[in-house]
Amino acid sequence: MLVIAVAGLFALSPRNTQRVQSAFLGFIAPFLKTGSTMQTKFIAIREGLKTLPQLEQENTQLAVENKELKATNQMLRDLAVENNKLRRALEYRERSLFKLVPARIIARDATTWWNTVKIDKGAAEGVEPDMPVLTEDGLVGKTTVVAEHASTILLIADENCKVAANVEGSREQGIVKGERTSTTAIPDLGLNFLSKTADLKPTQKVYSSGVGGVYPSGVLIGVVKKFEVRSLDGHATLVPAVDLTTLEDVFVVTGRK
Amino acid sequence: MIMFPVFLLAALFFALVGEHFIPPLPWLHEARVLLMPVVFFYAALAVPAWATMALAFLAGLMWDALAVQVLDTNVEISLGWSILLYASLGAIMSGFRPLYQRGHGWEIHCLMCGPLVSLMVLAEFLMITVRRGEFLFPQVVWWRIGGAGLVAMMLAPFVFLILHLIAVTFGWAAPQRRKVAQ
Repeated sequence: MLVIAVAGLFALSPRNTQRVQSAFLGFIAPFLKTGSTMQTKFIAIREGLKTLPQLEQENTQLAVENKELKATNQMLRDLAVENNKLRRALEYRERSLFKLVPARIIARDATTWWNTVKIDKGAAEGVEPDMPVLTEDGLVGKTTVVAEHASTILLIADENCKVAANVEGSREQGIVKGERTSTTAIPDLGLNFLSKTADLKPTQKVYSSGVGGVYPSGVLIGVVKKFEVRSLDGHATLVPAVDLTTLEDVFVVTGRK
Repeated sequence: MIMFPVFLLAALFFALVGEHFIPPLPWLHEARVLLMPVVFFYAALAVPAWATMALAFLAGLMWDALAVQVLDTNVEISLGWSILLYASLGAIMSGFRPLYQRGHGWEIHCLMCGPLVSLMVLAEFLMITVRRGEFLFPQVVWWRIGGAGLVAMMLAPFVFLILHLIAVTFGWAAPQRRKVAQ
């Protein structure tokens, strides 16, 4: 009976496999959300036990940071206006903004070899499979399984997540993908299929190129850590722009405004 | 009679939920704490073969439903392969059931959880290696495989103690100290 049941599961089409996964994700999501809330409360209680001088110091630090961010924000707004004016002048299409659905990470992956997280937004909020996910720092990954009020995100650190990319200050293009067996807690990314003469320098930024249709162009993926020439191509190791290990809130790009 | 296997199914489910909130262990090269297999291997000792197979089916299905990746129109690893893994490893554990019934439960559970959990993680790695190509076996892979087994062995006595107390409460199993009394 067991063998027949397994044979039946093996015969499922990808679409039906996703349906089974979606149904189970929908079932387990409330438990994961409850667990996540409990974890957050526990951390809040633990972090809440601070002394008055610690709180005062933190408050001063945050006030300074707030002023700096306000100044940076104003500067960026001015630059955006100027950029759009120049684009119009050059008869380029004004770069439209993304429609973003904010989501909270409710659970991290429990597996050893896959890199995924679960978020608290799903089909009911307009999320669909293969939608890019990002934060203000850069690209996070894409949605795979979508339930009614929860979704699974395949992180860029996973070997199966491949993103077409280009390198700042050069004409080099390649494919970014995660490593199967990262040796560090914060996994590095690999940028493959570069030309042997690329000669990328550390700290050069790598952005999504938009080729392939899933990821929008111009989203920061990471920063070059080192470059090496292999027998057939050039390969760069990248530090992801987003710290995937401490990620808490993300945005799902559901379209353009 | 059926209540204890149903309780074990609930325990497997909550172990799976719990696993999501346990971070990987940095001192063991990011090895994972796998609670569900530890609970499952207790179940394989405590319940008869038919119930072990039923639990293997449900545990494997739950695991695959969360772990298997469907990319574009391809399923990387078919839904259901973990069922075979749980069933075959559960069958091995089930072979030690007579020892459990004679009161050697926790030792067997602790000793077998390590290698069986490591075997499970190794099987997963081999499966994705075959599917994706490139035969990569750096040292970190062995640390993660062995580390998961080591942590499972450390957890096993506690899991055994809790589940066995509940089994006794359900009237499913005699207390392990019976052997000492004899």
